[in-house]
Amino acid sequence: MTSERTTEQSPPPRARSPFLFWMNMTGDERKDLVQKFAALFSLVVLIIAFSLTSNAFFSLGNAMTVSLQTTSIAFLGIGVTVVILTGGIDLSVGSVLALSGTVAGLLVKAGWPVYAGMGAGVLVGTLCGIINGLVVTRLKLAPFIATLGMMMIARGVALQLTGAAPVSQLGEAFGELGNGSFFRMLEKGANGLPHMIFPGVPYPVVLMVIMAIIVAFVLRRLSIGRHIYAVGSNEEASRLAGVNVNGTKMFAYATSGFLAGITGIILMSRLVTAQPNEGVMYELDAIAAAVIGGTSLMGGVGTISGTMIGAFVIGILRNGLNMNGVSSFIQQIIIGCVIIGTVYVDHLRNRR
Amino acid sequence: MNAQSPVVEMNNIIKRFGGIHAVEDVSLNLYPGEVVGVLGHNGAGKSCLMKILSGAMGYDGGEIKIQGDAVEMSSPIDARHCGIETIYQTLALADHLNAPANLFLGRELKTRFGMLDDRKMEEETRKALRSLNPNFKNITEAVMNMSGGQRQVIAIARAIYFNARIVIMDEPTAALGPSETAMVAELIEKLRERGIGIFLISHDMDDVCELCDRIVVMKNGRKVGEHQVGEVNKDDILSLIIKGELPDNWVPRNRTTV
Repeated sequence: MTSERTTEQSPPPRARSPFLFWMNMTGDERKDLVQKFAALFSLVVLIIAFSLTSNAFFSLGNAMTVSLQTTSIAFLGIGVTVVILTGGIDLSVGSVLALSGTVAGLLVKAGWPVYAGMGAGVLVGTLCGIINGLVVTRLKLAPFIATLGMMMIARGVALQLTGAAPVSQLGEAFGELGNGSFFRMLEKGANGLPHMIFPGVPYPVVLMVIMAIIVAFVLRRLSIGRHIYAVGSNEEASRLAGVNVNGTKMFAYATSGFLAGITGIILMSRLVTAQPNEGVMYELDAIAAAVIGGTSLMGGVGTISGTMIGAFVIGILRNGLNMNGVSSFIQQIIIGCVIIGTVYVDHLRNRR
Repeated sequence: MNAQSPVVEMNNIIKRFGGIHAVEDVSLNLYPGEVVGVLGHNGAGKSCLMKILSGAMGYDGGEIKIQGDAVEMSSPIDARHCGIETIYQTLALADHLNAPANLFLGRELKTRFGMLDDRKMEEETRKALRSLNPNFKNITEAVMNMSGGQRQVIAIARAIYFNARIVIMDEPTAALGPSETAMVAELIEKLRERGIGIFLISHDMDDVCELCDRIVVMKNGRKVGEHQVGEVNKDDILSLIIKGELPDNWVPRNRTTV
């Protein structure tokens, strides 16, 4: 006992080699790393497999396309992850994104400037999230029920506002956010037509990276983030420890609504049309991304980096299967199997 | 000891759940450096009374005074501001978080920029836990992977780290082995020397007789007895718990033995 005491008095020396680094980690950190690598590993396997089966897959242009396609799952997945961490669930994000997008479209159509219309759209999304939070914390309904209701309400409002018809002819400026990109380089070819050197990084991809970093920072470095994990881990203990449980939940649902709003305006901007039918079943993609990334539906466990990997697993699967000419029906089957498989592996690892 | 003014005065506290009177007109004092055992069988209202004092449960009537000042005890944060810390029977730990995160939950240390100061919290936690149990390792592990004793140590460390004036312990030794139980007894002694008032809820008659200065017995929401520990023996206490009254022809034990 005395020898242990002396050896344990100071923290272990910092690692010098990768192996020592591994030795110095606690069981939890190790598990976390294994989890990350398991998901990352499957991502790499997917990329290699698709690169071998399809010539067009492994190119910068396609990388940007996949990233762009993944943005909506990623945005929604980040928001849903925050809610799931508190032990809740948000089924409304697909409908909320439709409502946010159509509100933005209608306002721009009515003559509002694009930034104001889009800002209002994001605000509507955030408001939906706040209403979700109020129903969960004040009316004390189960999050599943509360957000299921909001899923129907938001979709209904979007359809009612537009008469179920797409709102088009929104002008070029409306499409800028979804279709523009940084560092796009064109060159006039010998035949006089533009030739693309670098496809550019689409605005939504940049925004996705920024959002992921911000939310990850909030979860890891701020006390509200710590409280989100604590509430999901043991709500009663958090309350007794003086954590503002309701405030924490409100923050989570509002974040999810806000990100659904962002997704809405980006998707509608990509189409340059406000579609009230957009985003059906997207909430399930978002939840799948979170779950593949190691988020526990019981709350208290999960990371943003994991969810991003999960979003890319789904995005790359879709893209790669498309490139290989696999029908969308088969794609659904495969993605379903992947969800069950990854969560089962996670389960096995945790059971011990 | 009684020359001092009480650190806690609970006067005529009432708590009802619908028609059930969980706590009925109970008054209770606690002096600095005093250990008061609160006894009674399950459902007697002792846990309710303590939850009211720790702000975890509202009350329907009566008043609470802390060091002579009447206070409104409507949330655990209020209780904390009054210097009341509670060790719950369930320990109230967030299982997926590590020891520092649990110790500082709800009052995290922050850097100048408002971010979590994990390094400082870890350092402080290490100190706090080592002072209770020199063998405490792996403090950055999630507490769900720790032993019952370790978890208990974290819950205790959380209560005493923040310079409490009043500590409520709800069955602190229920999950512990003999050596750890001795550690808790030692800790109670240390806290008593520092002038901290302690409410100890326990079913263990030996613990109570050994550690407490005074005992309070509750039955059906009422206080049925309050005695200096020397005045009663175990049979008397049992009689109070079960019958709600002292045995017939009872006289204070410490007087008859002299």
